[in-house]
Amino acid sequence: MTANANTHQSGDALLLLKDVVSGYGKMTILNGTTAAIRRGAITTVIGPNGAGKSTMFKTIFGLLPVRTGTITMDGKEITNSSPRQMLDMGAVFIPQGRNIFAELTVKHNLELGGVALSDQSGLGDRIEDMFTRFPILREKANAQAGTLSGGQQKLLEVARGLLLNPKLMLVDEPSIGLSPLMVQEVFSILIDLAKKGVTILLIEQNAKQALQMSDYGLVLEQGQARIEDTAKNILNDARVAQLFLGGGMAPAAAAAPAH
Amino acid sequence: MADFLQLLIAGIATGAIYALAAIGFTLLWQTSQTINFAQGEFVMLPAFFALAAMKWGGAPFWLACLVAVAMSLLILGVAFKGLIVDPLIKHGAMPLVISTIGLSIFLKDGVKDAYSAEAQPFPAIFPDRLIEILGVKVSLAQIGVLIIAFGVIFVLQWFLGGTRIGRQMQATAQNPTVARILGVPVERMILYTFLINAALAAMASLLISPIYLAKFSSGETLGMAAFVAAIVGGFNQVRGAIAGGIIVGVLDNMAAVYVSTAYRQAVPLVLLVLIILFRPQGLLGRKEERAV
Ligand SMILES: Nc1ncnc2c1ncn2[C@@H]1O[C@H](COP(=O)(O)OP(=O)(O)OP(=O)(O)O)[C@@H](O)[C@H]1O
Ligand SMILES: [Mg+2]
Repeated sequence: MTANANTHQSGDALLLLKDVVSGYGKMTILNGTTAAIRRGAITTVIGPNGAGKSTMFKTIFGLLPVRTGTITMDGKEITNSSPRQMLDMGAVFIPQGRNIFAELTVKHNLELGGVALSDQSGLGDRIEDMFTRFPILREKANAQAGTLSGGQQKLLEVARGLLLNPKLMLVDEPSIGLSPLMVQEVFSILIDLAKKGVTILLIEQNAKQALQMSDYGLVLEQGQARIEDTAKNILNDARVAQLFLGGGMAPAAAAAPAH
Repeated sequence: MADFLQLLIAGIATGAIYALAAIGFTLLWQTSQTINFAQGEFVMLPAFFALAAMKWGGAPFWLACLVAVAMSLLILGVAFKGLIVDPLIKHGAMPLVISTIGLSIFLKDGVKDAYSAEAQPFPAIFPDRLIEILGVKVSLAQIGVLIIAFGVIFVLQWFLGGTRIGRQMQATAQNPTVARILGVPVERMILYTFLINAALAAMASLLISPIYLAKFSSGETLGMAAFVAAIVGGFNQVRGAIAGGIIVGVLDNMAAVYVSTAYRQAVPLVLLVLIILFRPQGLLGRKEERAV
C-alpha cells in the first residue's frame, strides 16, 4: 500500500496509523488506513471530497472511535485516546470551518486554549506570548471573537492551538475562505513551526500550493492511504496531477469547488 | 400614577421570578438541547419540598428552604440529567420532549397525591408590610423578591462571564465539539448547567409561592410564563431571558388589573403569537448561529 517504502522508515515517525478502521454509525469511512507521519515535518493529506481526510483527523484525535487497528504517537499506543489525553500527549487539532467561540472575547478564546495546561500559573505568560506573536490579536483582545475577519479568526484558532506548545498539530483546511494573502500568512506560520520541530499534519483542498510548502504528501482515497511520499514526488506524480492537482481532467474539475 | 408604579413594581418582581425560570430553561437548551416541558413543575415542586420538611420533618422555615434547595439539586438536577436526559438525548429531541411532558404530569399528580390538592399558603421570606417611598406604596415582600432575584441573576451573570469555569460552560454551550477538542470537561459543564437550573427553579419556587400560594397545578402557568419569556428573549440568551421574564411579568400584572384577571393567563400566549409573527428570533435574539 505504501508506494515508496524505502524513503519511509517509520523510525522517525511521530505518528503511526496501522490498519485503522472507523466511521459514523454503521458507515465505514476509514477502511484500513496505514500511514507514518514524520517528526518535525509538514505532511499534507490530499484526496477527493469524501475520501475520509477529516474523518482521519477526528479519529486520530479521539472524536471518533477506532474500530480496529492502532494509532501510535511517540512510541506509545494512543488508540481511542480522548481529546483531553491527546492534548496531554502534545497534540492539538484545528478542525475544518469556524471554530472560535463567537460570543466570547478574543482573549477568553485564547484562554480556553489553555484548559489542558498542566501548570495553570503559566497561562497568563503564554497568552501574552501569543499577543506578542500576533499583534492583531492583542489589538482586538477585548472584542468579541465573532467580530474578527475570517482570516483573523483562523489566526486566533492557530494561536489558541499554539498556546499548549504542541509537538503535533492537526490542521484541517485552514485556507478555506481566506484571502490569498491570509493563506500565505497561515502557511508561513506552519512552515515556521515545522522548522522549530513541530510536526504538522495538514489537509488542504488547494493541494498544489500546500504540497509546494510541504515535506511529505499523503494521498487518501476511499478511506485508504494510496500514496505516501515526499511532497515533491507527489507533485510530479502523473496520476496525482491528473486527479487532484487541477490538471484539467474532468474528475478534478468536479472535485474542486465544493469542500 | 402611583397605582401604576405600584403595579409596575409588582410586575417587575413577578417578572424577575419568571426570569429565573426562563434563564434555567435557556441554559438547559443551550448546553444540552433539552427543551424542558416540566420547567413549570420544577418551579412548583421545591416549595413542596420545603412544606414537607416543615410538616413531616418539623424543620424551621429557614432549614426547610435549605432542604428544598438541596433536594432540588439532587432530584431536579442530578437525577433529571442522569435518569431522563442522558439516556434519551442519544435518540434525538422528540423522545426527550415527550418524556419531559410525561415528567410534568407525574410531578403534578405526585404532589397532588402525596401532599394535597389544595393550594397551600407558603411563608414569606420577607414581611408583607407596606412602606412608602416617594409617595408610592410598595410592599417589603416585593422589594425583597426584587433584591433576591436580581442578586441571583447578577451572581449568575458574573459566574458565567467572569470566571474560567463559567466561560468553559459558555464555550460548551456555543460549540461542544470545539470545547472538547480544547480539553474542556464538557460532561461536567453540562452537569453544572443542570445544577444551576435546579437551583434557579428552587429560588423561583421559594419566591413565588408566598405570592401565588403553592399548588400542584401552578406549574402550568409558571411553565408557560418561563417558556414564553425565553422565547421573547430570543431563546439562546441569558440576557434575553431576563428581559423576557420581566416583560411577561409586567404585562400579566397589568392585564390582571386593567383588563381582567380572567385574561391574565392569556398574556403569555398572546405575546408568544406576536413574537412568532413579528420577531421570530426574539427581542434580543439573533438568528441562530450554532453550527450543527
Ligand atoms: N458527522 C458525520 N456523520 C455521518 N457521515 C459523515 C459525517 N461526516 C462525514 N461523513 C461522511 O464521511 C465521508 C468522509 O467525510 P470526510 O469529511 O472525512 O471527507 P473529507 O475527505 O474530509 O472530504 P472534504 O474534502 O469534503 O472535506 C463522507 O462521505 C461524508 O459524507
Ligand atoms: Mg474534510
